[in-house]
Amino acid sequence: MRIRLLPYLFKQALNNILSNRVVHAIGLGTMVVSLLIFGTFLLLFVNLNAWVQGWGHSMSMSVYLNDDISAAQRAEITSFIGNLAEAEIKRFISKDAALRDLRSALGSQAGVLEGLSDNPLPASFEVTFTDMDDRGTDLKGIKQALQDMYGVEEVQYSEEWLHRFEGLMNIIKLVGFVIGGLLCLGILFIVTNTIKLTIYSRKEEIEILKLVGATDWFVKIPYLFEGMIQGILSGVFALVILYFGYFLISTKKMYFLGLAGLDFVFIPYQYTLLIILISVSLGLLGCFIAVGRFFDI
Amino acid sequence: MIQLFHLFKNFGPSIALGDLNLRVHEGEFVFVTGPSGAGKTTLLRLIFGAEIPTSGHILINGVNLSRISRLKLDLLRRKIGFVFQDFKLLPKKTVFENVALALEVTGEHPSFIRKRTHRTLKLVGLAEKEKAYPLQLSGGEQQRVAIARAIVKDPLILLADEPTGNLDSDLTKDIMILFRSIHLKGTTVVIATHSRELLEDTAQRTVFLHNGRIVGKK
Repeated sequence: MRIRLLPYLFKQALNNILSNRVVHAIGLGTMVVSLLIFGTFLLLFVNLNAWVQGWGHSMSMSVYLNDDISAAQRAEITSFIGNLAEAEIKRFISKDAALRDLRSALGSQAGVLEGLSDNPLPASFEVTFTDMDDRGTDLKGIKQALQDMYGVEEVQYSEEWLHRFEGLMNIIKLVGFVIGGLLCLGILFIVTNTIKLTIYSRKEEIEILKLVGATDWFVKIPYLFEGMIQGILSGVFALVILYFGYFLISTKKMYFLGLAGLDFVFIPYQYTLLIILISVSLGLLGCFIAVGRFFDI
Repeated sequence: MIQLFHLFKNFGPSIALGDLNLRVHEGEFVFVTGPSGAGKTTLLRLIFGAEIPTSGHILINGVNLSRISRLKLDLLRRKIGFVFQDFKLLPKKTVFENVALALEVTGEHPSFIRKRTHRTLKLVGLAEKEKAYPLQLSGGEQQRVAIARAIVKDPLILLADEPTGNLDSDLTKDIMILFRSIHLKGTTVVIATHSRELLEDTAQRTVFLHNGRIVGKK
């Protein structure tokens, strides 16, 4: 095969795509949809993962105090937390402030609090932890130490939630692999059939090419180019649509479980390259399968 | 140039060719004739490598077809021109593109392909119809395009299967003149035909086939 032939064969591939544009458009559309599903899943996974990681890095802890806590006991607790390098008291929530927060959270339902004879909510410290991975923070130990202190009623932190989310992330990852695998098989099937259809439509031409001395590769290479072009186009289109969808969503402030405003990020460039690589590889592989048995002339 | 040794070809239970031995020398002009179903087309397709013999050997220019790779067979076909009874032209390509196809597969330079294709179309009298499509041409013109495609690469051997089967007697004469002029340039020509008209006033060697066997030579 002479290198000089490659531009000629590439032109042949473009001509083939144009002359079978309906078949290619259907194949391309289906591939774009499949890649878009995969890309959306990836986008959600990347963001969920980032959020969970973010929580992991800056955990919050609520230290609820007894109603009869003395000033000295409160000062002892404050000093204990102050001595922890990674911890910081975000704020002290008095009993009244806690009730106010609850009242504003309930909004129009706040009337249910009117019948209360006294305030049942405890005062609390809201403590945040940062750089926990670097410092090897033992949250369980801190919780236990605080609970053993006089004046502390209960200590709660979000680690249990985090563990639950990590479990959920693993399930999502598994589901992602299964869906991704099935979508890849679907794409392979689509490409193979698209190329098979174009080969059928050019059967006569292939026969004549072989009869005038064309080598197998001379006939096959345009189809491989076709698969590659289809792979690149579908990957790029899917990413453009995905980015457009991301752009629309990211302009709105995202809240997840009412916890906090969340940053919504696009998939990293390595993943965009992965999508292109997958679509091109599947395009080429589909073509190899399609052209494999067509040239016994 | 072409040597056939104890050549057999079966299609299922039916025997298309049986124990065929034939030698065609370099630069020779040979007719292969016989009634329909005698095995003429099968013989040409075997020489071209489009069919595999059931047994026996075919040597083209000293190369045994049953012992060469697929790639070498493709390359050998570039030295053989084949004119099909049904022309086998691509309707969506112009006359020029149909003829140039035989050179494009060899990877020749585009300027060489252009020059050679023009020259060949001029030789077959179709220089004015380069841009026409096959279906815009008469049967005789289509046949000449098919011949041009077969000879554009200066083949060592030219095989033609019933090249005048669809043509009237005037066009038949024109086509035969064309074949003789190609032969005069040194190409070995083998024509399969059942046309008596074609054989009547010819001095060329003729091989008679019947039921897949050689039953006479002239």
